[in-house]
Amino acid sequence: MNFQLTEEQQLIEQSAHDFAKEYLDPIVLHLDETGEFPKGIVKELANHDFLGLHLPADVGGAGAGFVSYVAVIESLSRSCAAVASIMNNQAMVSYAIQHWGNEAQKKQYVQALVTGETIGGFTIYELGPIPGIGPDALVATKKDGGYVLKGTKAYVRNAGEAGVYVVFGITDPADPNALTAFLVDAKATGLTVGPKQNTMGLRGCPVAHVGLDNVSVPETAVLGVVKAGREIAAKVLALASVAEAAQTVGIGQAAVEHAAAYAKQRVQFGKPVATLQAVQTLLAEAATDCYLARLGLRSAAQLVEDAQPFESEAAMVKSFLARLGSKILVDSCQVEGGMGYSEAMPLPRLFRDIAGTTLLDAPADFPDYTIAASIA
Amino acid sequence: MPKCLVCYKWTLDEKDIKIKPEDLSLDTSRAKGKISDFDRNAIEEATLIVEQQGGSVHALTYGTSAVQQSLKDVLSRGPDTVYWIADGSAESADACVTANVLASAIRKLGSYDLILCGEGSSDLFNQQTAARLSALLGLPCVTYLEKLSVEGDTVKATRKLADCTEVATVKGPVVLSVLGTINKPRIPSLKQVLGAAKKPKKEIKIADLGLTPEQLQPKAIHKSVKGFVAKRKNIVYKEANAAANVGKLTSSLAAEGLL
Repeated sequence: MNFQLTEEQQLIEQSAHDFAKEYLDPIVLHLDETGEFPKGIVKELANHDFLGLHLPADVGGAGAGFVSYVAVIESLSRSCAAVASIMNNQAMVSYAIQHWGNEAQKKQYVQALVTGETIGGFTIYELGPIPGIGPDALVATKKDGGYVLKGTKAYVRNAGEAGVYVVFGITDPADPNALTAFLVDAKATGLTVGPKQNTMGLRGCPVAHVGLDNVSVPETAVLGVVKAGREIAAKVLALASVAEAAQTVGIGQAAVEHAAAYAKQRVQFGKPVATLQAVQTLLAEAATDCYLARLGLRSAAQLVEDAQPFESEAAMVKSFLARLGSKILVDSCQVEGGMGYSEAMPLPRLFRDIAGTTLLDAPADFPDYTIAASIA
Repeated sequence: MPKCLVCYKWTLDEKDIKIKPEDLSLDTSRAKGKISDFDRNAIEEATLIVEQQGGSVHALTYGTSAVQQSLKDVLSRGPDTVYWIADGSAESADACVTANVLASAIRKLGSYDLILCGEGSSDLFNQQTAARLSALLGLPCVTYLEKLSVEGDTVKATRKLADCTEVATVKGPVVLSVLGTINKPRIPSLKQVLGAAKKPKKEIKIADLGLTPEQLQPKAIHKSVKGFVAKRKNIVYKEANAAANVGKLTSSLAAEGLL
């Protein structure tokens, strides 16, 4: 067993690190302050092959594997998790189309997603407790050889910037568990994007509700087969769990490193606070949490790469970080004391970004079901 | 179309090096390797020239067995081939030994139109490799490059000197050393990283270079390297009025030779 990244994976991680320093560090504050979508950065991600990292070479991808993918997401998140979140959501769409789409759908969308020409939005959540339930549930009614979609998808990332959405809806009202996935062009008549939400963190990665008011799509818009939506969503969300774990670790690692650097130069009682035992405990616990979480998420990513069952491990990593992600930030802030609480320092932004990752992208209450079901 | 050779050094990444507080010695146990900073500029410059004009870029390195970690990295940055010499002698090699080894390897490899080096390495920054190579190979040398253009066999190089810039024109073959300001090294794309595995990596054994024991004997010996740590004097002036405090401060700074 070897826990080290391979030489190629290390070089890819280094490229992501260098990319983050060159392109993300200069804009992270601007994105946080304005919430502006970084179009130019998305193009640069494509130029460096990051958007097609996980896809095979025959569709323009780099074919670098999922371990490399999470290493890149962690590196980008250390500088700007909003951009990592944009990339994760883009990957969810391109992966779904590459995996379940027919040749025409792949030809139409995958290359454009890899080059950044098209942005993707993955719409699973609704305002009801689960997709398919409630007054705003997305219902797809068969009509004239196609489907008419009506309902609202909630908290859609990349909303408003996306050119294509993967939309999940129920095609059989008698069976709300049977979701079907559709590919819907953003310009489709009846599709509207609500106001961009003023989110706590990950600002720069837009979030909005997407309304579909009798949007007509042809039968060829179905992704995979009818009623396969639940399977598609489960698989993609499980993959996203690992990627979001990498995002969380990246944010946490950035916080720990900043706190450690601060502790070395902040002098109290005649010596750097890094030499004080109470501060050392805070730093040690935060660094330990990051280290163990990274081992877990890379192990889960290796399972994905080896085409082994990974959903339970992905849920464990997600659950672990949902509990510890914020603690890493609390510990790091505590090291920096009053200065750490100041918006002049990066920790408040990192705090909000980690909340955005663990609260919105990866609800803390969901993975326990998957884990429990796998062991009992 | 120029045939370029870039000499590079695999060094420790200084950001990973810690200073041990007890004796100021360097803790390099967790330091990762990297291609020396200015050498990256040399690789980038050769790659840019060849991308614009055609030709080829090759890379050459000499170091301990650790240089093998650098091969895919350097190939992902543009060169078509990398030649590597891994030998224990590199552990204590000074600039003289390094130049002897590289020059012998270059003679073995054949002729190049441009031989590029970084102005100095990230670790020792001796700034001697290019000059020594040119002397050993009998080629002209232009150093401190911040701009370079190549037309046929004519090289026009802008040198950044202490108080001026100088434009030198020279006919190749030539040895050049570049500054960090000459370009911005690319960040390899993922396809370039993965494509590096398919490019040739050729080992040159030091025993095949025909070097004498004397040529591998360093003239300069490093006895120790110690870190520098700024120490605070913690002097606090507690006079009743600010002017008196400022007076004491300026006197103190003057006594230290700082004013």
